[in-house]
Amino acid sequence: MRQKIIIKTGGVLAILQLLLLAPKLQAQQTVVDSSVLDRINELEKQMAAKKTGEDHFMVAGLATMGFASYKTTNTVNGSSTVTKGNSFPDADNFEFSPMLLWRHGKKLLAEFEPSFNNNGVSVNWADVSWFATPGLIVRAGYLVLPLGTYSKREAAGWIDKLATDPMGIADMAPTDYGVEIEGGLPLGSSKINYDVALTNGNQLLPDGTITSGNIVDNNNNKTITGRLGLLPFSNSSLEVGVSGMFGKVGDQGANIQNTMAKVYAFDLNYVKLLKPILINIKSQYNIQDIDKVDYINPADSSTYSFNNHTISFFVQGSLRPVNASGFIKNVELAGRYTIFNTPANSTFGSNQHTFTIGLDYWLSWRAVFKITYEAYKGNSTASKTLGAYTGLTTTNTLFVHFAIQL
Amino acid sequence: MKKLSLKNISAIISISFCIIFAISIIYGCKASQKVSMKTGAQLWAENCQRCHNTPSPSSFSPEQWETIGLHMQTRALLTDTEREKIVEFLKQ
Repeated sequence: MRQKIIIKTGGVLAILQLLLLAPKLQAQQTVVDSSVLDRINELEKQMAAKKTGEDHFMVAGLATMGFASYKTTNTVNGSSTVTKGNSFPDADNFEFSPMLLWRHGKKLLAEFEPSFNNNGVSVNWADVSWFATPGLIVRAGYLVLPLGTYSKREAAGWIDKLATDPMGIADMAPTDYGVEIEGGLPLGSSKINYDVALTNGNQLLPDGTITSGNIVDNNNNKTITGRLGLLPFSNSSLEVGVSGMFGKVGDQGANIQNTMAKVYAFDLNYVKLLKPILINIKSQYNIQDIDKVDYINPADSSTYSFNNHTISFFVQGSLRPVNASGFIKNVELAGRYTIFNTPANSTFGSNQHTFTIGLDYWLSWRAVFKITYEAYKGNSTASKTLGAYTGLTTTNTLFVHFAIQL
Repeated sequence: MKKLSLKNISAIISISFCIIFAISIIYGCKASQKVSMKTGAQLWAENCQRCHNTPSPSSFSPEQWETIGLHMQTRALLTDTEREKIVEFLKQ
């Protein structure tokens, strides 16, 4: 009985204590809430006063890696030799290229893309662009030249539908030091774009080949490269372009100092959704002509001559059922035919073509897994007199690639 | 078929340049009403896929989209209006 009274008395005391403390607890609660609110207000003020700054820096870029397995058969005078090999991470196409972008306000952009690849570490481009007025961008630095569109727009591993580049196309649109103006303009329901660069230019080597990207000009003549593009339809589905590159390539003071190189390119790009398939057609035709002069045979230093005329061409198509559901919508089927003919009767002349097919699986909009099969055939047109003839070469290669935009 | 000489190719290139620039001067480089009315989403769908898959707006922050917009304008040679509308759409 006594125990019951004690429990009862304790319970009443506890209730009284709660009643007495309640206003105090409530006041304490109010104090906590107001401090949080004060803090929130303070943060809001700080956010409102926060300057976003004029500059922005980011890293993008790309990475491509994979595996290649090939079998090459070379036939000279009826005698054949077979070579087989494979490569991790496909040495010819491996690339890790972070692109550094630094924007100053909305008018200036600096771009720098170093690349770790088969050649060690190189630079893809390094330039500064000034967005001067609507329709006019002025750029200076180490530039990808506007000859066709493949090098500037389509060569990245995560963009290209196939594991390889079309032969010869990118070689004729090199990177070079100079200045450039470009822009896109509306034209009623159509659009035009232009791109003109003035650079140091290519350098003619003694054997008749050319090299590019010299920071010190080999002569006092500059090379001009220009492209004009037209998008005739209001939905931008078709773009056609014409390009030209003109400049002297001979070394200053040498017998060949006035040797001219003229390169032309024609490009086409058509992308259209014909439900449920996205159709993608790309093509480019390059023609390179270098004046006929005396060249040096690297084997014995004797002089010889040939018509220094090179062409490269590709047409590529791909199909992707983007409106399908599930797994299928991420699959893309691609095919390409390429021609690359280097000068006959030179030490490196060859008529080459490849047929390439591939199946891609898109893991996201910027990450792709590719399986590509390429059949190459090269028929040497090199001079037999100079001992440069190399017969018929066929190579079949299977590529397994992964490419991503960083 | 007669092979095109370099002289002829040069002539074709030069004439193409002249015709298109002449037309652009006549039209005063203005977009038609149909084109002007296009939204950022429409322009994003039409222009990005010319070279690559259309990017997801969530891939980058608004600040990053501003920077990428400038970079893409130099590559695809978008008009300024196209770039501004596409970037605004991607920043949302």
